[in-house]
Amino acid sequence: MNILKAFDVSASALVAQKRRMNTIASNMANINTTRTPEGGPYRRRDVVFSSFVLDEEGRLEGVGVSEVVKSDKPPKAVYDPAHPDADENGYVLMPNINLIEEMVNMMMATRVYEANVNAFNITKSMYLKALELGR
Amino acid sequence: MAADPINGSPAGAGAIGNASGGIKPASGADKADGSFEALLDETIGKVASLQKETEKAIAEITGGGGDIVEAMVAMQKADLSFQVMVEVRNKLVSAYEEIMRMQV
Repeated sequence: MNILKAFDVSASALVAQKRRMNTIASNMANINTTRTPEGGPYRRRDVVFSSFVLDEEGRLEGVGVSEVVKSDKPPKAVYDPAHPDADENGYVLMPNINLIEEMVNMMMATRVYEANVNAFNITKSMYLKALELGR
Repeated sequence: MAADPINGSPAGAGAIGNASGGIKPASGADKADGSFEALLDETIGKVASLQKETEKAIAEITGGGGDIVEAMVAMQKADLSFQVMVEVRNKLVSAYEEIMRMQV
């Protein structure tokens, strides 16, 4: 059923925004992390969105997360000689994560998510309205 | 009772009635050549498969894994297709009843 493909567009956006939310949560959780499996402080993650064609004619395009990239921004050096990861000068390399930036991104992700839920619902109620034709 | 010229309609209604356990029309008319019946059968099959998908998604969620979005989308798809099917059935049944009410 072709009608149902329209749902898949909104659904793909929901999944993509959820993954974005996951990376934001990861960034906020690791704002003070100095040790990672690959060594060094945590590096900020960001998602890259890409569209993909959903139907044969190429009129419907969904969105997906094509990759999660790590930020290249250099870590912040914070003076804290008591920290076990401090170097000989007393500086600790901290993740370069801006909490405000993450909060703004989180709000954006939430709003986009809500917008897509609304798009989904309105699509459905539009199709249901069609059933009332001639009633 | 069921006259020949209206063979198509009762047969179609019969297919729906059998599938949903609803109204059963006169029995003499269920062997029409039935391209319409096939269409209905196919539609009902699609609706049923969407509902099976939903069931699976819900089972996955309650099992701990699975994606809520996926399950909800499957649910909504099943809901919409079911409502479309019910609407078609209602129309058919009302057409059938209209014909049955006809004065001969």
